[in-house]
Amino acid sequence: MRMTTERIESLAAEYVLGSLHGRARRRFERWMMESGRVRQEVWYWEQKLGQLSAEVPAVEPPKSTWRAIERRLWPQTADSVERAGSGLRWLWPSWSLVATAAAVVLAVLIVQQPVSAPQLSGAIVQADVSDPLWLVSESGPDRLLKLRSVAASAADTGKDYELWIVPEQGQPLSLGVIPAGGVHQVTLTDEARTALSQSRTLAISLEPVGGSPTGAPTGPILHVTKLYEL
Amino acid sequence: MSQVDASQDDLMRLLIAVSHEDRRAFQQMYELISGRMYGVCLKLAGQRELAEEALQETFIQIWHHAREYHSDRGTPLGWMMTIARYRTLDLMRARKVRQHAGEEHLEHVEDQRAGPLDESLRSAGATQLTGCLDELSDVQRDSILLSYYKGLTHDELSQALSSPIGTVKSWIRRGLIALKRCLEK
Repeated sequence: MRMTTERIESLAAEYVLGSLHGRARRRFERWMMESGRVRQEVWYWEQKLGQLSAEVPAVEPPKSTWRAIERRLWPQTADSVERAGSGLRWLWPSWSLVATAAAVVLAVLIVQQPVSAPQLSGAIVQADVSDPLWLVSESGPDRLLKLRSVAASAADTGKDYELWIVPEQGQPLSLGVIPAGGVHQVTLTDEARTALSQSRTLAISLEPVGGSPTGAPTGPILHVTKLYEL
Repeated sequence: MSQVDASQDDLMRLLIAVSHEDRRAFQQMYELISGRMYGVCLKLAGQRELAEEALQETFIQIWHHAREYHSDRGTPLGWMMTIARYRTLDLMRARKVRQHAGEEHLEHVEDQRAGPLDESLRSAGATQLTGCLDELSDVQRDSILLSYYKGLTHDELSQALSSPIGTVKSWIRRGLIALKRCLEK
């Protein structure tokens, strides 16, 4: 096809505008590769029409976009950064369930206790229940983590609640099945204590009776709470 | 420094560093321009998921092709924004965005001469291009701005402006030629 000046002008403009598409677009791209004159015309329109972009309001992209770019450009480095990043990552698939179903909020509890070492305290609460479901406190010297049930209701038939420490890195550590009523005490191992003092994060998942058969949460994550140092 | 204040000199410096595979410069550049760029992708695609993917593709392309920039391609920012538009358009065409659904932005057209173009963009567009858009007829200007900002194809434009496709094509073609003649004055 003959390339008159007017034809180049209008095809280049339509190419930049985006209204040239399909086979015509690909054909034009070949012309661009072959002809400096065609390229110049495209660049002209890119600059002229590009001024219109200045009028579009900026919108902050989600943080995940930058991480995705890093992951795609440098898969190895990005992976190791992510591994070191957050032990909470495993929670996300289930998290939306929690967010919609229970609207979990966090609360601080001030418990009067004579303290020598920092101790952790907190509550597992649910937005539509006025009392906390469980109160959590750690007693330092005897390495006990205590859960006192306040407004928790029993798990569905055939299900149990299981308590987890969510470490900063790696898989969650099970603290066993917890009853809906009464007081439940767990003695923390060294590993569990270190993990908890670093991340201060607990989670409760819904598991088959007797707890997760795999050692990792299998059911929905019902609650996540961050404990506070007293 | 905010995204708006990023000067072309700063971006030029960063782009040169990126062409030497400087990752920190790359991230700095992302922080400076990603908001403006995402705004354009989002306006064009009309959906977040696709706009995010286009933004990723754009930065990946910038990383690999930074050294291909030269001043004939406009300012560094203009060059990168152009890449973002092309990547968004590519993804829209590949995914056939709007082909079957998503007519919602076209629905109110019939009662409104203004059509599906935001008033803000119409008037903003007029202040650019040294006033030359004002010299076009309303339909010429609207079809050009709808193609530019929303990425409407000829088919979609013909629906949006309730006019035969041949008519729409000629509005665009004549509008662009008139625009160029005016810009050359």
